[in-house]
Amino acid sequence: MHHLRDPSRPACQAPLTAALLVKHACQVRNRVSELRTASAMSQGELAKLLGVSRQTINSIENGRYLPSLPLALAIARNFEQAVEAIFISDEEEGS
Amino acid sequence: MTYANGVGRRGATAAILVVGGGALAAATWIGGDHVLAMILVAFYALAAGVAFLWAGRDTDVGAIMRVAGDERQRRLDRDATALAGLAMGLSAIIGAIVSAARNHGDIGGYGVICFVGGLTYGVSLFVLKRRT
Repeated sequence: MHHLRDPSRPACQAPLTAALLVKHACQVRNRVSELRTASAMSQGELAKLLGVSRQTINSIENGRYLPSLPLALAIARNFEQAVEAIFISDEEEGS
Repeated sequence: MTYANGVGRRGATAAILVVGGGALAAATWIGGDHVLAMILVAFYALAAGVAFLWAGRDTDVGAIMRVAGDERQRRLDRDATALAGLAMGLSAIIGAIVSAARNHGDIGGYGVICFVGGLTYGVSLFVLKRRT
């Protein structure tokens, strides 16, 4: 099922070269910022725990970057939550 | 883990500039243009110095220059490389067309670039699709 992308929201994470040619509709919001703040952690501290850069945590929190499955699992494990409790797709939310 | 953000090699990009620039300067010197060769040496030495300093910064570009990015930074590098490849390929095709029109069908060096680019793409596609 295809939806037209809402231009006010960040584009999905298809490769840049593909994004030039194909309209993608995937939209996933996440609760990383909320959970990190609740854990009284800085972006840098979370980044260090997960083995990624602070900039990547910032991009994930702002919805500019959709992490890989291993990283999403590591984030979920870190907050002791299920992946789907942290990363929520628009389709799921709307249903 | 595959997405780990390592410290990397700070001198990686600087080394590429020194080796590539040095080879270009040496070829220019051998070709007889000693002034241009000296200018190239100075330019690439300066560029290598800037690259070394830049690679030490805690930024996305710094991590990519150290060949040490995490998964997002590696993807940035891959996307930028793919776009650069597209631009180079397009330039080669346009160059071949212009060269053919000017030189009675002879596309010259552009033909080699187009051939290498096309062959690399085909072989890469064949190999990579078997892996995934």
